[in-house]
Order: sequence, then structure tokens, then C-alpha cells
Amino acid sequence: MSISQKTAWAQLAIFGALVIGWVVLFTVNGTIFYWQDETMKMTFYWLCAAAFAALVIMNIVASILKGRLKAVTDERDRVIFRKASLWATGVSYSFVAALLLALAITYMDSGSETVPVYFPFFIVIVGGVTLILTQAITALLLYGRKVNHAES
Amino acid sequence: MPKARINNQIRRLRFDHGEMTQEELAQRAGCTRQTIIALEQGKYVPSIELAFRIAKAFGVSLEEVFQYEEQKR
Repeated sequence: MSISQKTAWAQLAIFGALVIGWVVLFTVNGTIFYWQDETMKMTFYWLCAAAFAALVIMNIVASILKGRLKAVTDERDRVIFRKASLWATGVSYSFVAALLLALAITYMDSGSETVPVYFPFFIVIVGGVTLILTQAITALLLYGRKVNHAES
Repeated sequence: MPKARINNQIRRLRFDHGEMTQEELAQRAGCTRQTIIALEQGKYVPSIELAFRIAKAFGVSLEEVFQYEEQKR
């Protein structure tokens, strides 16, 4: 397994841990909208921050390893990374655009008071999570499929 | 543009070269063992540079390692 595959699996594992954390949080607290409860809100943000920090640290370590150990990555890894990045960018942009459109329609139909002030921040988080997840999943799928260097 | 397929003889050439390991070939060609595995399984079409490096690792011409095959419709 290449370092890029390990990184992708680690990204999915971190996200999985975050989802489990959220599920536990909602199960214990029982609040449907986390922003309605201050403790719930702070725990939610701390979970997000911990996951984000884990992702950043992991990517820094992966970059250092890729730079130092030349044998761990090669042109195939780079081709897959480029393709996965393209897919991830497209999917996350589309997702954010759809959410912004939904937000705009809600604003126009019902007024700005109906949407919580946290919602735009939530869109940014969703965009980032979608980017990372799509990149990880696409990379793992591409490692099992036929890849052509000329098509990158 | 006609559909084409690029076949390779890496597995046979490794065998012919004293059962060279995938790791050894990877080191000689400057790529990872995972890429050699993908090449042998037909899951990766390499760059022209890597193709030349693999041919050089075996000490043969590019055509002896890789074959371009146009597929009939």
C-alpha cells in the first residue's frame, strides 16, 4: 500500500471517528440542532477542530515522508492524486453551490431570520469535508482501476 | 481515433532476467513496487519516460517491453 493510499484511508478513518463522535454527542445530549445548546455547540466545534488538526498533521507528515523517501511515491501516485483532486474540487464546488442556492432561495422566500446565523459557516465546513472525503474515496477507487498517465 | 491497448511483457522479462523481483525492478526503474504490480496487471499505462527506464532496466528496446495494439471495432 502506497503512502497516498494510507493517507486516504487515514482521512476516511478520521472522518469516521468524527461521525461517531457526533452520533455519540447527539445520542447523549438529544438536541437536534446543536447550536441551540451552548455545551453541545462547543463540544461539536472541539470535535471538528480535533479532526481538522489530525488531518493537517497527517498531511504534513505525509508530505515530509514523500519528500524525504523518494521510493514511496512515483508518477502513478501523482497521476492518481491529480485526478482525485480534480474530482474532489468539482464535487465540493457543486455541493457548496447547491447549498448556497438553497440558502439564497430560503432567504428570498422566508427572509434571513429563518436561517440560523451558523448556516453559512456550516456550508464552508461541508465544502471542506466534501473536498477531503471525495479526494480520499476517488484516490482509493483509482488505485484499483486502470489509470493512464497520458490522460492526466 | 481508434481504440488502442498497450500491452507489456514485464512479467516475462522479469522471469527471463533471473526471476528479478518486482522490488528490484522498481528500484532500477525508479518507481514503486505498487506501480510494477499495476503495470503487470495492465492497470497502469506509464509515461514514456518510465517506459524507457523499465526497458533500460532490462537492457532491451522499448518495443520488447511495450506493444501498441489497435483494437478493431
